[in-house]
Amino acid sequence: MLTYIFKRLLIAVPLIFGVLTLTFFIIRLAPGDPAAFFIQPGISPNVAEQIRAQYGLNDPLPVQYVKWLASVLQGDFGRSFSRAQQPVIEVIASALPVTVTIALLTLAANFIFGILIGIISAVRQNSFVDRFLTITALFFYSMPEFWFALMMIILFALKYQFFPASGLNEIGAENLGPLAFTLDRIWHLVLPVTVLSINGAAGIARYVRGSMLEVIRQDYIRTARAKGLPERIVIFRHALRNAMLPVITLMGSSLPFIFSGALFIEVIFAFPGMGRVTVEAIFARDYPLIIADTFISGSLIVLGNLLADILYAVVDPRIKL
Amino acid sequence: MNDRKFLANTLCVALAALVFMLSSCGGGKGTGNDAGKTRAAMDSTLVVAMLGDADYLNPVLATTVTSSEIVGLLFPSLVQAEFDTTTGLLNYLTLEKKLREVPQGQLKKSPKGALAKRWTMSPDNRSITYILRNDAFWNDGKPVVSRDFKFSYMLYGSPVIASTRQQFLAELVGADKGHIDFDKAIETPNDTTLVFRFYKPVPEHLALYHTSLTPLPEHLWKNVKPEEFRHSPLNQNPMGAGPYTLRSWKQQEELIVASNRKCNLPKPGNIPRISYRIIPDYTVRLAQLQTGQADVVENIKPEDFSAVFKANPQVEVKTIGLRVYDYVGWSNIDQDAYRKNGTIRPHPLFGSAKVRLALTRAIDRQSIIDGYLKQYGVLCNTDISPSLKWAYDNTVTPVPYDPDGAVALLKQEGWLPGADGILRKNGRKFSFTLYTNAGNARRNYASVIIQQNLRAVGIDCRLETQESNVFFNNLEQKKLDAWMAGWAIGLEIDPLDVWGSDLKKSPFNMTGYQNPRVDELCELAKQKMNHMDARPYWLEYQQILFRDQPVTFLYWIRETHGFSRRIEGEELNISGPFYNIDDWRLRPAPHIAP
Repeated sequence: MLTYIFKRLLIAVPLIFGVLTLTFFIIRLAPGDPAAFFIQPGISPNVAEQIRAQYGLNDPLPVQYVKWLASVLQGDFGRSFSRAQQPVIEVIASALPVTVTIALLTLAANFIFGILIGIISAVRQNSFVDRFLTITALFFYSMPEFWFALMMIILFALKYQFFPASGLNEIGAENLGPLAFTLDRIWHLVLPVTVLSINGAAGIARYVRGSMLEVIRQDYIRTARAKGLPERIVIFRHALRNAMLPVITLMGSSLPFIFSGALFIEVIFAFPGMGRVTVEAIFARDYPLIIADTFISGSLIVLGNLLADILYAVVDPRIKL
Repeated sequence: MNDRKFLANTLCVALAALVFMLSSCGGGKGTGNDAGKTRAAMDSTLVVAMLGDADYLNPVLATTVTSSEIVGLLFPSLVQAEFDTTTGLLNYLTLEKKLREVPQGQLKKSPKGALAKRWTMSPDNRSITYILRNDAFWNDGKPVVSRDFKFSYMLYGSPVIASTRQQFLAELVGADKGHIDFDKAIETPNDTTLVFRFYKPVPEHLALYHTSLTPLPEHLWKNVKPEEFRHSPLNQNPMGAGPYTLRSWKQQEELIVASNRKCNLPKPGNIPRISYRIIPDYTVRLAQLQTGQADVVENIKPEDFSAVFKANPQVEVKTIGLRVYDYVGWSNIDQDAYRKNGTIRPHPLFGSAKVRLALTRAIDRQSIIDGYLKQYGVLCNTDISPSLKWAYDNTVTPVPYDPDGAVALLKQEGWLPGADGILRKNGRKFSFTLYTNAGNARRNYASVIIQQNLRAVGIDCRLETQESNVFFNNLEQKKLDAWMAGWAIGLEIDPLDVWGSDLKKSPFNMTGYQNPRVDELCELAKQKMNHMDARPYWLEYQQILFRDQPVTFLYWIRETHGFSRRIEGEELNISGPFYNIDDWRLRPAPHIAP
């Protein structure tokens, strides 16, 4: 297994470099100019030129690429164009904790609720509960997140003012004690996490239901029941473990999401997370930041897939790596 | 039976999880004591919801709107500028001298905010000498001295630093030769005397405007190399001398400034703390205003007013204007030919002034205003704002909406309807694409009406929106035939950038409009040492633009900003909604007060 992991990681290195190289050239092909912001009346036309020189954009493309490659190999992703020339690593480091907090809470809620609802629907197939849960799940699954988020804000922040409409903390929260501060933070996270997880849980529930239904019909489940095992053990120990295989693929593929952020939620709830960093970087043609973001999400997709493969082997002894 | 029990257990777990989540949410409000703390904080904190974050808290580098606002609070200025609404002229104030005398009680800003005591302009208008106060101090206790200004101007002028305010140095000695001679251009004979020298005579108001860039403390910055200037941690942690100091800055989230108790320029800010919260989504900024979580939200759209007032009667809308206008740009020249080899020949569709006038007549500008901007829009004749009363020509009657007149004019120009109803001339159809930038509801609204209006006179106009960066790039490279965009005008009139005949020197002349008399008038006006002497030139300028219709000027926009009624003492004018924010006061909000 270790050799397998090692091999996979080894293959990942050229793959990620390929992705970065492609990104490097593609963003420079895109119309638009990182110095465009400095081209406006009242600003001397020299400024844009000086800025381009500072960013090293006047060099021929191959030269730019070699320079970039040299610094990336030393672990230096450069300085952001659009964010006051902060090192891009700092920009990302300040956005990551917010994104990871939201994503972990969301993923936990996603999987807990998704799996529970899926199991209930499968076990009680075709009952009223199943139909109700299925329709509700589909209803939320098909709802656009940004719209759902705005509706939640209108309902729970505007009409009934239970939750704050945006931000991570209340005004003056820094004067609160650590416990009250944490609770204030959680209180601010309820709406966004709910929006994100209702949508995600609904999707996962559908997967779990389908996969559970298939497993429940298997002979070994009938055998387990015939042995007189309690239903709880039949479902959780015998059926669920086998039904989890597709869900594990989902877990693996949600790893990039943890770090790449949920753009709509970050924009709507005004969280300074990775989604906003990435999209704002693209609009500003902030090349170093775009590449660093690509690096992070690219690596995570590769790692996520690897993790899913390893988890397969853990859950299903028939799979050998 | 087992089955049912299992289901019951599962539901219990789910319910317990939900109850836990909700209880922790409720707890977020905190105990009575904690709630008291945040309430007290609310009562002494003004919350401004901003679209974007600050970039550099450094006057040399600040480029975003948020940065400029905050830099204005943290740093002192040499002179106080005040916009006079009766004339539309900028007035400059120092402790002992004003550019124009103002009747008692009409001053909005205290002249004590200025670092200069007085100034004298040399008789030949080639130099200005400031006498500085000796009681102004940076926050670390060191005095503000004339050297700070010279040092800062050298930073503003450095090509390595690439400040966006380099234009302000354009008249200093040596600037005409491409290299400012700072030893001659700025002299500091002693700590309180500051002399700027120009290579040509400069009108007093322009000299004041261009020499009043915000200074940085030399003693703090002198060891920062120019190439390191943009990376310096001081940009994130500035030291100034203004009515506020930076308290904390969580980037892309919240920036808090606190009243600077030591300030005597003019005094510590009235409101103890101002929190700038970065909320990129408009709907959410609006929701914050409606729930009272934000006190000021800029640029509220007219269509949202009634909902805001209904949700929160404590909100009022304040207007500022007129500084921003939208227009439809028609390429006056054939850009394909111009891009290929620099040849200038009239555009096949929009090359004639008569055709452009017909297009303006065909567009029902008033109905765009009535439908979208309502009382917050004013018909626009030229790019001289009605707010600049001293220069505005109020005798011009706007081009009327007159589709029949438009058809007649087009006919005179040889455009006759074809079988499909679309106008034709020499086999060419009057058909084009009108581009605009994506995400602007007002321009989308206007463009649909324009399309319908033009169709009614036999012109085929397709609409296309482009991502902003791409759109402006295309405009700059003269790739678009027709487009809709807008300008925000400066308070000093200087339109050569936009209309100058030398297309290489006037990068914003996207239409390619050329009229030597316009160039001449702009130059003549600039040479006048007194504003009012330039008025005849600006009147003629407006007549020419009105006649030539280089673009179709659509409407001036009154900017509309949402304010909580708990703010008192705010004075808004064309300089911006936060013009005198250090003088604002806060009343405890009714729903927050215990």
